[in-house]
Amino acid sequence: MSVAACLLLYSFTAAVLAPRLLVRLTHAGVAPQLGVLAWLAAIASVVASWATAAAFLVGELVTDWNQPGRSVVSACLAQLRAVAAGNYGLAVQLGLLALTTLAAAALAVLLGRLGKSLLRARTSTHEHARMARIAGRRVEGLDAVVLDAPQRAAYCVAGRPHTIVVTSAALAALDQRHLDAVLAHERAHLAGRHHLVLAVTRGLAAILPRIKLFTTGAAEVARLLEMCADDAAARQHGARTVLRALLTLSGAAPIPTGALGATGVGVLARAERLAAPPRPARRLRTRLLLGGFAVLIAAGPLLTGGLAASGLSFCGPM
Amino acid sequence: MRGFGDLEAVVMDRMWRRGGETTVREVLEDLQSQREIAYTTVMSTMDNLHRKGWLSRKRQGKAFLYWPSLTREQYSARLMRDALDGGGNPSLVLSHFLDQMSDVEAATLRTAFQRAAAEEETR
Repeated sequence: MSVAACLLLYSFTAAVLAPRLLVRLTHAGVAPQLGVLAWLAAIASVVASWATAAAFLVGELVTDWNQPGRSVVSACLAQLRAVAAGNYGLAVQLGLLALTTLAAAALAVLLGRLGKSLLRARTSTHEHARMARIAGRRVEGLDAVVLDAPQRAAYCVAGRPHTIVVTSAALAALDQRHLDAVLAHERAHLAGRHHLVLAVTRGLAAILPRIKLFTTGAAEVARLLEMCADDAAARQHGARTVLRALLTLSGAAPIPTGALGATGVGVLARAERLAAPPRPARRLRTRLLLGGFAVLIAAGPLLTGGLAASGLSFCGPM
Repeated sequence: MRGFGDLEAVVMDRMWRRGGETTVREVLEDLQSQREIAYTTVMSTMDNLHRKGWLSRKRQGKAFLYWPSLTREQYSARLMRDALDGGGNPSLVLSHFLDQMSDVEAATLRTAFQRAAAEEETR
């Protein structure tokens, strides 16, 4: 019981503190790859501690059921029995059974929903890619399909095979160098399997919208992945070319869909860091902090569980 | 990019270019000017496209007459709507090179770029 309780306490603390700390460390995009890693480590850490806590609860219950008098729960029950001096032992045990079942069921539902949302994402994304490949035109020497559309847009869709889509308006606006930079950016997304990361983080955020670690995490990871792809394109074609391409595609009149503004903020940060890359000293400091954070939070559930199990933790045997 | 699975795309491309109602035989002759291809392959591809809703058809004598259910522009518009309107289908995972921006954001971006360009020149 104490291990499970400590893990839940840990996950609660991590879910509250991690997003605040990480936003501060990653928002400027100084080390985007490490930033993504740190966010994913934090998210995985919380989910893993839930799973471990549920496993421990179930384990405790099973041991307790089979060998009364051995586990912490039994000790607790014995105390309660002594206090209540009635036949409350069974009631408490049944309560514990209900609690454990509830926790395990909640976890199963969560994982089931996540799996479903991943499958849904895969289906609609592959379908979009397939449609784009049929409706899009092929241009000789261009590693993308061209959709006839008045909006300037370029994006990539995972599918079989993966597909990069460029609109005819974007194609007309970009010259060859800038187009190459845009394609390099999209290829970096596909090569890095960013769509899988996005599907998981967005899925979690949609299932548990109240947990800030997941919602903020999904948005920040998306931003950081754009920056990673920018860096990959900049390595090949130069930061200024990527910046020029960003500017060219943003020059069009915004599309009136009512969804404006919410997502565009990331573009400014991307442009700023392409225009003025962070200094080496700052980069090193951010890397060290993020690396340390990632290691610590990845080891978090293990440390908490270990401390609780050995009884050294402040949680103590409960 | 142009693998075997792309035959559907090639056939649709032909159908849109031709316009109007077409038989499998006509599409076959059209394709055979560029590649070796069997009648049954084209027929089953067009049958698939019909099943998936891309082509409509009606019987004429022994054969079918096919035509595109929607124009290429209509499909493009539908895809763009899905791709750009985030609220339409939340399970669609795309990575845009550039998200949609408001006028203010576009202007700020331009200013940032001009400033960077000016700094570069003074250096």
